[in-house]
Amino acid sequence: MGVILEVKNLTKKFGGLTAVNDFSFEIQRGEFIGLIGPNGAGKTTVFNLISGFEKPNAGSIRFDGMDITGLKPFQIVNLGLVRTFQLVRSFHYMSVLDNVSVACLSPRGKKAAEKVGIDQYASRILSEVGLIDKARFPPVILPHGDLRRLEIGKAAGTNPQILLLDEPFSGLSYEEQEHIHALIRRLSNEGVTIFITGHVLRELMNLVPRVIAMHQGKVITDGPPQEVANHKLVLEAYLGRGGVFA
Amino acid sequence: MPKKIRRKLSDAVSGSKNFFLGIPRATRNLYKEIPHQVKSFKEWIFTFRGSLTILCIIGTILIPLITMDDYITTILISFLIFSIFAASWDLLAGFTGQTSFGHSVFFGVGAYVAAAFVKMAGLPWFFSMIIGAVVAVLVGLIVGIPCLRLKGPYLALGTMAFSLILFNLFMSGELKDILGSTEGISGLPAMSEDLIITFLYILIIMIISFVILIIIIKSNIGTIFKAIRDDESAADASGINTTKYKLIAFMISGFFAGIAGSLFSLNSRAVNPSVFLALYSFYAIVMVALGGLATISGSVLGAFVYWVILNELFKPLGMWGTVFLFFPTLISAIILVIMIRFAEQGILKPALEHLREFYDFLLGR
Amino acid sequence: MIFQIENVLIFGTVQGSVLALLALGFSLVYGVGGVLNLGHGAFYLITCYVFYITSRVLFINLIISIILSLIIAISVGGVIYLALIKPLQGSHIGVVIVTFAFAVFMQEFVKVIAGIKPHYISPFIFGSIEFLGVTFPIQFIFVIIGSLILVSLIGLFISKTKIGKSIRAVSQDREAALLMGINADRILMITIMISALLAGMAAILYAPTSAITVDMGWGFLLSAFAVTVFGGMGSTSGCVLGAFIMGYAKTFCSVFISPTLATVFPLLVIVVMLLVRPQGLLGKKEV
Ligand SMILES: Nc1ncnc2c1ncn2[C@@H]1O[C@H](COP(=O)(O)OP(=O)(O)OP(=O)(O)O)[C@@H](O)[C@H]1O
Ligand SMILES: [Mg+2]
Repeated sequence: MGVILEVKNLTKKFGGLTAVNDFSFEIQRGEFIGLIGPNGAGKTTVFNLISGFEKPNAGSIRFDGMDITGLKPFQIVNLGLVRTFQLVRSFHYMSVLDNVSVACLSPRGKKAAEKVGIDQYASRILSEVGLIDKARFPPVILPHGDLRRLEIGKAAGTNPQILLLDEPFSGLSYEEQEHIHALIRRLSNEGVTIFITGHVLRELMNLVPRVIAMHQGKVITDGPPQEVANHKLVLEAYLGRGGVFA
Repeated sequence: MPKKIRRKLSDAVSGSKNFFLGIPRATRNLYKEIPHQVKSFKEWIFTFRGSLTILCIIGTILIPLITMDDYITTILISFLIFSIFAASWDLLAGFTGQTSFGHSVFFGVGAYVAAAFVKMAGLPWFFSMIIGAVVAVLVGLIVGIPCLRLKGPYLALGTMAFSLILFNLFMSGELKDILGSTEGISGLPAMSEDLIITFLYILIIMIISFVILIIIIKSNIGTIFKAIRDDESAADASGINTTKYKLIAFMISGFFAGIAGSLFSLNSRAVNPSVFLALYSFYAIVMVALGGLATISGSVLGAFVYWVILNELFKPLGMWGTVFLFFPTLISAIILVIMIRFAEQGILKPALEHLREFYDFLLGR
Repeated sequence: MIFQIENVLIFGTVQGSVLALLALGFSLVYGVGGVLNLGHGAFYLITCYVFYITSRVLFINLIISIILSLIIAISVGGVIYLALIKPLQGSHIGVVIVTFAFAVFMQEFVKVIAGIKPHYISPFIFGSIEFLGVTFPIQFIFVIIGSLILVSLIGLFISKTKIGKSIRAVSQDREAALLMGINADRILMITIMISALLAGMAAILYAPTSAITVDMGWGFLLSAFAVTVFGGMGSTSGCVLGAFIMGYAKTFCSVFISPTLATVFPLLVIVVMLLVRPQGLLGKKEV
């Protein structure tokens, strides 16, 4: 146990717009936690900052007791903090298997795959995410749901300690959402800390025991989903958007 | 929203501009399953590709031996040298997505260094060639490090700027004492008394180079290269140190381009600053575009078409043939435009498909 | 020494004027379409040779041959857009390669028509004048004044006319412009034609001061690129400012240090700027 990720006073400005404003939170090892907020709240920006894709204007990020502010994305990944993208990003002209192999070829992934070999390890991940029968196809022909799973498979290939999932359910049918649910739960049961965003609470309601709600770059509240859903400011933030459960 | 605009917007959103050479339009082959890799050499020989390769090699060896024609041998030698050069560009641009327009830098450095070592130090050609290639690798580092931060068209122009800096430097005669001025270095000893032997040396070097290049792209490092090409930040998010691997790609590519350059000067027994011109980078691009991007072996076909077929077949065409002989660049510019505009896949893949049907037919399948 | 400073001043102004014309078009095209047109130098080349052939070989009236050359440059610009840039716009590298091929093609084509020897175009008015103790051809005055007028005209055009405003809109926010119903393809085509016109004007004004050769397009292309990189991609004022700084710096180098350095100077600027400040002097930062 103990704190695995500690974010303090994180601030990011784009020109005049403060996308993330004095944002602080802590995540315990093994926790399963959600981050919600309406469109443009700054969730993706928070992930970009934590994973090193963007440099914060102020604030610090500590991962596993180490200051990772300003490290490059691949360095952070190799420490065990891995993120997925809201708009799936696969390697279009490589087979699905190779897509995962790339992650297994990172220093951290390599260490994990040492015993069984890269190909074997990547295939194993593919069967976990349910894409093994499509291993030799290029991702461009996969349906969106499969791409989401591939995205998680790619992240899993690096053997993460904590996984940042950026809206893994967006644009999916109910069944596909169920698949991903199950997949994420399995990862969580294996001890991976999961930090997941969504812009409606309904998606995360049955999944996570704790939710951080944010609006205009700030934390509104932090707690169990029921409480968050009924929080006055959260309701306000979502007002005119069809409510929290839309 | 009008349909056209919506399409534009979705293009903008999906970031299709990042793709290389507009490949997205040539998705035909992508809908096919990517075949398993063949592991052993013995197995490979009996595959379609394997037997075809062996046939081609035998054919290439036999032509000069049968005709005993120096002119044909010379043309074949150019073809071999430039196929290595084109393949080295393909590794960098087609596989790693680093579209360099300054590939002539490596070619030229290899050519100059090899020539200098043969001429001044009297080293045997083979060692000079290796030294030329190694120096090209170092130059690959020097060019690569600053250019790594550049993407797409910036990289293209940045590398091109490098090649022109070198051209001007060598033209200016400020390096006169070591590397000759505008006229460059000439009067190198021949690689061997007999042109056929030279040809065989170069053929062997070319085959070895291709084997190494193909092994590289099929290995883990090749997988990483392709990942960087397809989506650099996704590769970053997969924990890959993209800077390091791009630099490796620059170095490997520089090495083989350096080999090609060294062979070029050793074979023509002279070298002058024009090897740094954008024209030589252009040659590589044309040949790769002809053969097919990201294929490595396509470079052989591209170089063959460029040096042998275009050179030879245009001759009987009379006037137009003459135009090609005198202005090959003119024609190849047109070819390049046509290829990129209408046949981005190059001719290797379609050609192989047709040949394969024929092959299956011969075997009665 | 003093005398040389004056040299730098005058020759630098001329260089700067020419570079401003070339770089302005190049940078506008980049801003609007996000494409680097490697055929930009070829516009200069074509205009020079058409001008040469019409005025020196066919002995057509000066004004008519100027108009003819410019029309040809503009039409080539339009054709380049329709045939090469538009179909490949999705892929930046595709555009770079085909426009590169176009530039090579033009160079070779001109070689076929006019041969590899340098040619000379006569200046509008022969003779030279002395100013600040430096003697220089009268043509230089045309260059400086012509460039000044054109650059101001383009500035007015962009800020006042409807098309000009569309050009600005597209280069600032392409998607928003599309949503407002601006036909970005047409705007890009017009911009490329304008860039051809500007390059053509640079050629008409400047080419009579020295020899024309088939490979001169590259130097001008790289200078234009250097200025654009230096002043910031897609920034008009940065571009003009960059052009003059570059002009003076280049002339300074060739007078005080070495002519070779002056030739590679733009190239060094490209490399250094791309490394140190990729967004350019006044350019806005890209992602
Ligand atoms: N690179 C950028 N440059 C300028 N503004 C940006 C940039 N990235 C994000 N923003 C702005 O920052 C704000 C927060 O964006 P962000 O993508 O983090 O929101 P989000 O909560 O992920 O929204 P969504 O639910 O739509 O994914 C938005 O207003 C967005 O326009
Ligand atoms: Mg988001």
